[in-house]
Amino acid sequence: MDWVFTGRCWKFGDNVGIDGDMMPLEFALTRETRPEVLREHLMTGLDPQFPDKVAPGDLIVAGKRFAQGNPHIQGLIGVAAHKLGLVVESIPRGSFRNVINAGVPILPHCAGVTGTVEDGDQLEVNFQTGVLKNLTQGTEHAYEPLDESLLEIIAVGGWRPMVRNRLAGLRAG
Amino acid sequence: MTAQTCTEKILSRAMGRPVEVGEIIHPEPDLVTVHDWYVVNFDQALQDFGVEALHAPDKVLISTDHEPLAVSAAAAERQKRVREIVAKYGITNFFDAGRGGHGHVFPMELGYIRPGMFVLAYDIHVTNFGAVGCLGIPLVTEISEVLACGTVWLRVPETIRVNLSGALQPGVSMRDIAQRLIVDLGADLADYTVIEYGGPALADIDFGGRMVLCNTPIEIGAKSALVESDDETRRFLESRVKGEVPEIRSDAGATFKAVLDYDLGALGPQVAAPPTPDNVVNIEEVAGKPVHYAFIGSCAAASLTDLQDAGRILKGRQVAPGVRLIITPGTQEMARQAAAQGLTEIFMNAGAMITAPGCGPCAGGRIGPMAPGEVSINTGTRNDSGRLGPRDSEIYLASPLTVAASAVAGQITDPREMLSKR
Repeated sequence: MDWVFTGRCWKFGDNVGIDGDMMPLEFALTRETRPEVLREHLMTGLDPQFPDKVAPGDLIVAGKRFAQGNPHIQGLIGVAAHKLGLVVESIPRGSFRNVINAGVPILPHCAGVTGTVEDGDQLEVNFQTGVLKNLTQGTEHAYEPLDESLLEIIAVGGWRPMVRNRLAGLRAG
Repeated sequence: MTAQTCTEKILSRAMGRPVEVGEIIHPEPDLVTVHDWYVVNFDQALQDFGVEALHAPDKVLISTDHEPLAVSAAAAERQKRVREIVAKYGITNFFDAGRGGHGHVFPMELGYIRPGMFVLAYDIHVTNFGAVGCLGIPLVTEISEVLACGTVWLRVPETIRVNLSGALQPGVSMRDIAQRLIVDLGADLADYTVIEYGGPALADIDFGGRMVLCNTPIEIGAKSALVESDDETRRFLESRVKGEVPEIRSDAGATFKAVLDYDLGALGPQVAAPPTPDNVVNIEEVAGKPVHYAFIGSCAAASLTDLQDAGRILKGRQVAPGVRLIITPGTQEMARQAAAQGLTEIFMNAGAMITAPGCGPCAGGRIGPMAPGEVSINTGTRNDSGRLGPRDSEIYLASPLTVAASAVAGQITDPREMLSKR
């Protein structure tokens, strides 16, 4: 997996909600998990045209408590479907596990990052090292990257593929 | 050796080596608990993965508590499937409808849970096991991975130490403290941490009070909560567990993310107003609000003390016209004790209804839902819109004393007014 994402910064504030902001609640209630369905509704609670404007490699940069609320995975499956990366100031535990389970690269503890980027900036983020380069502003910041074992889960595509691999390993002894 | 918190000790024992905060580990739990409503789902997940046998079926405990009295044909069918699935996997620790009661409570009564244990669960309120010094961590869907593979990744959490001191004012219960405490801790500080309780007031806090202290922090994103073990822990457990009651306490010099000193005597009754459990106000701010629906029960009020508190208010009084009061004992054992102590008679005389032990209406309002536009005051865990059925209903959360007083008055009422009239 290529851990370096280069793309546009889509900047959001604090308290982006997993239900409503990131994904209509109805998809959580109906337990919809098809990426091709969920990708069409990503972030539409905050920006109705978002699914049409983003491109693979783009980065969502957000403030504190990103994906807060009842930890439904649907919004994060939508993020994975667009092949976006996440750079956030903080994220509650339930949604953090869902980010990993959905196979989305993330820098989860980037204190003050929303003060260093503007919406539309061109960014280069290395999720393995934690280095964020703002190509538009010519600045660079280093954050704590994910533990290697969590990067491995993301690399294989998230929770389900990881569990299948684990089980295959256990069966092989 | 480095000084450790209770949580670091428990996870170090599970790993067989010292662990450090922030580290990703795969510790094997001493017990895995799953509730009736998720059994069919984990079976489906295991089938999708091609798994035919559980990693350790003897370490799995299943309880039928979210809907013990099936209220629909679909629920009856699901109960039947749960029995088939439990038999298929050879799970012997199965507490069917009418057997144990609430799965976050009766395992402590029956001696399954000991200080220093490590439990993984589907449901978030497994943190109740912290009442006896056990670290219970919820996983939701990833419980399937634990059932199949034996472990799941966890990040070793930081601990916030809360030292309790002082004594409760009359008419105030540990529910009031537990509700206000999560506001004072705050979601930003509590996220991903374990809340650990100690301090001089602990000796006076019983099993029920300890359970609610460990129940509320999950609502603001804590990973778990536990009470360090003491003489009261030993007193509660010594007739229930086999052999010596183990101890778990943090080392002197252990590192905490924060230390909070909390005076139990500083608070009056507290009420969580809609729409979140941490929207907590002093009762004076909402007193007088008419209510239609009152409920005492759930894993946040699942002890005999909670039933006794309700009895103190309801003895010789009647629930107000136009109000229904539902009481759900936490466990079969508590329902039996409530009857032996004359509480059941008090509740019946007051015009209350008693349901099968378990979650009661708090489990999404499948049992005894509200009607649209109604207002409820209850002891449940959450007050999101729709928690007890219709989305356009309002839910206030409070102590059993406050809920009982409000049911009698037909409006949100400070229980101290009624207690002083005894």
